[in-house]
Parts: sequence; structure tokens; C-alpha cells
Amino acid sequence: MAKSEQHQAWLDGLDAQSRAKQGGFIDGISAKLRRSRPVEPPAHPFRGAPDFWNAFEWPLEERITRFMDNFKAVGGHPVRLADMEAVKSFIAGKASEMSAKYIIRQNQPELNELGLEAALPDAKISVWNSDPNEHWKARAAEADFGVVVADYAAAYTGSITVLSSKDKGRSVSLLPTVLMAIIPAERLHTRLGQVLVNFDRIGRENLPAGIHFISGPSRSADIENDLTIGVHGPGVVYAIIVG
Amino acid sequence: MSGAAPAGGNTVKERADLALNNDFLRKAVRFTTERLRTGKEKAAEDHGNWDEWRERGRQIRLHTIAHLDYYLNLFANNARANGVHVHFAETAAEAVRISLDIAKHVEARSVVKSKSMVTEELHLNTALESIGVEAIETDLGEYIIQLAGETPSHIIIPAIHKNRYQIAELLSVDAGETLAPDTQILAGFVRRKLREKFLEADIGMTGCNFAIAETGSMVLFENEGNARMVTTVPKTQITLMGMERIIPSFADLEVMATLLPRSATGQKLTVYMSGISGPRRSADADGPEEMHIIIVDNGRSLQLGDPEFQELLNCIRCGACLNACPVYRHIGGHAYGGTYSGPIGAVLTPALKKNVAEWDDIANASSLCGACYEACPVKIPLHEMLVYLRRRKLEAGRGDKLEALGMKGFAKVMRSSKRFKAVLKLGQLGQKLVVRDGGISLKVGPLKGWNTYRVAPSLAGQSFREKWPTMEQEIRNGLKEMDPALKSRMEAIVRDRENGGGGKGGHGHHG
Repeated sequence: MAKSEQHQAWLDGLDAQSRAKQGGFIDGISAKLRRSRPVEPPAHPFRGAPDFWNAFEWPLEERITRFMDNFKAVGGHPVRLADMEAVKSFIAGKASEMSAKYIIRQNQPELNELGLEAALPDAKISVWNSDPNEHWKARAAEADFGVVVADYAAAYTGSITVLSSKDKGRSVSLLPTVLMAIIPAERLHTRLGQVLVNFDRIGRENLPAGIHFISGPSRSADIENDLTIGVHGPGVVYAIIVG
Repeated sequence: MSGAAPAGGNTVKERADLALNNDFLRKAVRFTTERLRTGKEKAAEDHGNWDEWRERGRQIRLHTIAHLDYYLNLFANNARANGVHVHFAETAAEAVRISLDIAKHVEARSVVKSKSMVTEELHLNTALESIGVEAIETDLGEYIIQLAGETPSHIIIPAIHKNRYQIAELLSVDAGETLAPDTQILAGFVRRKLREKFLEADIGMTGCNFAIAETGSMVLFENEGNARMVTTVPKTQITLMGMERIIPSFADLEVMATLLPRSATGQKLTVYMSGISGPRRSADADGPEEMHIIIVDNGRSLQLGDPEFQELLNCIRCGACLNACPVYRHIGGHAYGGTYSGPIGAVLTPALKKNVAEWDDIANASSLCGACYEACPVKIPLHEMLVYLRRRKLEAGRGDKLEALGMKGFAKVMRSSKRFKAVLKLGQLGQKLVVRDGGISLKVGPLKGWNTYRVAPSLAGQSFREKWPTMEQEIRNGLKEMDPALKSRMEAIVRDRENGGGGKGGHGHHG
């Protein structure tokens, strides 16, 4: 433990330096702005999107259609299914079609009830962070499929939002070759702002470490403008809307 | 070696000559910028009300910068409350020293990096290598130019100047086997190679697109997933952020997320947008255990309180001004010689360095046409700043003597119409010695620079002013014959123009 104590002492030293420096650094900015530092939050009359935009909303059916159109346009695979039973058959079908052997899924109630394990007896299915001794990043890196339930989605940009927690690994939506993202229809909003506003509302103390918006398969156009899919993240992304 | 000064030539003109002679580069830059520019225009049009969004973006940036002391302080306190180790660096040297100190203490052997212009500014890769730490760029384009030992030539597409054969050659050396010049094969090799690097790296290093003051979160936009890798897999994360990257809230992020991807690549949103609020929570099984954010000034605060240049800090680094600029499209990014190229680089580089003298010639790499302002999603008047820069250069006595003389002479001549007439007459007579085929291609005196690439038109036998009385006569006669209703309508339009809005000259962005 000597090393980690030493490391902690070094970090504490850095933080003390940083706090000591902060006042002067910020005062320097105030001096350049030729006034003293405001103590009250300044009035911010232009916060967020314009009013006409905040009033804009599509009905559910149109949200679903638009989301699917946008997701398809960037090379993703959107599908709409009636219920979780259909989701189970769909994922099991894709797994046998692509001969997926390793599947990693989040430890979410919807997925615990899904019964993928019974539907795919030959695949090795691991549940994120279910065993403290497992090397979870490696399990995600070797996986053919990563299965997640989205926290939110936004139709206008075709985006899926996933939040991290002890049961929801950031790696599960990132490291596997194929991503299967299940979106309950009631979590699909029209605008990005309808998702973002939740983070202001719950406040700093309640934010997860990682908030990720995913709008299609990983891509790059860095070689001669030629579009390449699946550069670092999943190259095949299914957005499964349920309901 | 990334971060080294670009090879060949000390002035923009010399470096541009190199670029102009490179036919592939010119075609590639034109093709790519054209694709990005039309993509942006289409995305803006599809989204609608683009000018209202630009105005909103501008207002949010203006507000934040005007209260930067308040918001930066708030951000630092909130990030620290999230468990981040926050550092303040006034200079590049200080930011490098802090980064190396962290690398030494976590006993790092390798650092995986996602795209960061600030680390380019600091030449951090070279510094890391000097203490025996391998620094690996993981953005596909950045990885390619790092192998080539070069610097980015475009803020969004850094390897814009390389073709697939050159890339295949570089990657084949890296792979130890011959790779076919096929995009899928080349990208597939990089994916496999970098997977190993991500998994074994000790530090993940990122830039920062936006930092949210009210929650202490940092936000990254990207398409490949490498920034997510860098912030998910290694044990330690170091983020370098320019001190002006702040926005107040997640609500404001919606405006930036609307403007940035559309302006950069014409996308509705980049494939990934990530908000990171501190290191992994104690029960989490991934994400960094230790997270550092280094807040970098490095010349940025010099712009604060400067009425001509403060708006530079509003820049969201989208690259739209590069794609819109006729000069950038012609000479490419390396000709600018600094970390930032194009119109924004032409202003930002001397502004950050405060040594207008050394970099002054990049202000001349612009035709002052205003296309950069039109393209800018937060309406920074770059073309005006270029004029301010040229003026400051002249005031500092470092200008081109002819330009100084020219500016003085021009003012003198224009103040008196008699003098203007006389000078014009002189020109009309004098040019008889040099006009060939209706143009002047002589490369001497003030015409040398201009005529190296084109032929100056000869002065008209009869000047516009000389023609004007006749033209005015013709127009007036025309009006007399005009339908009275149409005439009065036109006169009303002219009256309206004189009463309101007139004299705003072009863009009206001061309004």
C-alpha cells in the first residue's frame, strides 16, 4: 500500500497547488475584462435553443418513422418490433445468422427478463459486472454482440442515448463488433434538447460518469474521402424500437 | 515528430509555392473542401432557420466569454467535485510540465490520444517521447500523418493531402507486410493495430469540444469511436482544454450540437457525442480511475478585453471557414505554417503568439472576400480581423513598404476627385508602354505579386467616372420613358433604402 499512499499524497499536493493557483488565474481573466469577478450567476437570456425550436414536437408515429429514416441514412439498421418477445427472437435470429458466439449484455431488468440465455444455448452470454473478479473490458472486447437498452433516443438526429452505471458498462456499446440497442418507444423524443434537459434537471451530483449519444455505426472518411464503416466502434448497429 | 514546423519555406508565400506545385494536393484539397462545403450548406438548409441558430450560437458564446471568469471558476469547482484533478496552465510549457509529471507518476509507457488541437499547439507528442513515453494518435487520419511525421493540414480531415497509395505505403511499413491500397483493408489494419494499443495503454489523452460549467462535464464530438476508447479503457485520463471551451449548461449544448457537426461535415450529429463527468464511479467496471483536466491559456487571454479580437474566443473549431476560403482551397493547410490553418488560423496564430511580426505574412493569405464570415456558425467577423491585423502590422512598422505607401497614397488620392482624375489620366497614358493584348503581364514594382499568377487588366480607355455622365443621361432618359407606376415604385424603393438599413455595407453583422 506504500505506493498508493505515495500516489495519493502526490495527487493531494497537485490539488493544493491547483486550488492555490485558481484564484489568480481567474482574477487575471477578470482584470482583462476590466471588472471584478461576478459572485452572482450572470443573467443568461439566450440559454438553450430558440423558443420556436422548443415548441417543436412530432407525434409518436412520426418520431418512429423519422428516427428510422435518419438511422438508415447513416448506415445503421433500424427495426420496429411489437414486444420484447419479438426482440428476443430477432436477436437470437441475428446471432445464429451471423454465428455470434460471444455476447455481452448490460445488467438491466428488461434484459434479465428477456431470456436470451435460453434462446441461445450455444452462445456464451456474459452479464456486465456480474462477477467482481472478471476482466470486463476484455469480455466486451472479444464479444460479437453487445446488447443494451437505451435510456433515451432523439428522432430528429437519429440518436440513441446510453448512460453508464455499475450495471451499464460503457464498453458494452463500444467494443463489440455488433451493437444491438433496444429502444422502448416511450423513450423516443423528437429533439436532442428533450434528452439534454434531463441532465440539467437532475444536476451535477446525480450525473453518471459517462453519457453517450450514438447516431449510427462508427465511421471515417479520412482516406481519400472514402467512407469506411466500423473504424474503432461497432460497424453494425441495430436500433430496435419496441412498441 | 508531429508538432514539428512544416518543412520547406519560411513564409506563407514560399510554403504556398510548394503547395501550388503539388498537383495532387491541390485537387484533393479542392475536392474535399468542396464536398464539406456543399454538405454544410445542404445540412443548414435542411435544418432551416440557419441564421437564427447562428445568432443563438453567437449569443451563447458572447455571453460565456463576457463572463468567462465566472463560468470557468464554476466549471473548475464542479469538475473537482466530480472527482477530477483540475490544473491551470498559463503557458504551453506549464501544460507540458503538468502532463509529463502525470505520465511519470502513473509510470506510463504509452499514451493513446484522440484528436486534440491543443496538444498540437503544445507539441506534446514530442515532449512525451522525450521522456520515453510512446504517444499514439488514434484518429485514423491523425495516425496516418503521425506515421508520416507530419502535422494536420485540415482541422477535420487531417490527412487530406495524402492519397491511398501513399497511405498504403506508410501502413505497409508499419504492418511489416504489403497492404493493398484499398480503404477497407487499410482501415481494417488500423482497427486491429490500435485495438491492442488501446488495451495496453496507461493513459488516454483527449481534447475538449465543450466544457459545461454548471455540471463540470467535458464533451467530445467524434465519428470513429476512438475518443470513447481513450476515455473508457485506460486507467488514467488526461484532458487538455483551451480555457475558452466553456458553455454554461446542457441546454446550451443543444445549440452547439446543432451548429458544430452541420458546419464541420454536414452531419445532423456526429456518430458519437459523449459527456464525461468525472472518473468512473466506485462501483463502475470501466472508465478511468483517475482523471485530470488541464485548463490551458497559452495566449488565449490576450484576446480578452481586446475589442477587435475578443470574438476569436467564440470559435468552436468546426473548420467551415477553411472549406469556404478560396485561398485555403488553393494552397492547403500546411502553407499557413501554424497549428491552425485557413482564415481562423490566419488570425488565431498571430493572436495567440502575440508576435504579429513573425507571423504577419499569413494575414496576407486571404482575399478579404468575407466567405469565412458567411460560413462561420457563430458569426466571427474573420475578414475584418484580417484587416485589423494588417493595420497593426503596418502600425508596428513591419509592413510591406509599398503597401504602407499604397495605403497612404490611396487615402490621399481618394480624398480629392481632382487628384484621382489626374492620377488616372497619368495611368492611362503611362500604361501604353506595358499593355500587351489588352492586359499587363509585366512583373515589376507593385504588379509583381499580382502578375506572377495572372494578368492585370489594362486601365480602360475611358474610366467609369468619365463614362458616368453619359450613363446617367441614358438612365434618366430611360426613366422618362418608363411606365409611371413602375417609376414611382422604383423611386419608393430607393427612398426606403436611403432611410433604413443603408450604409451597413454587406453583412450587417454589427446590428
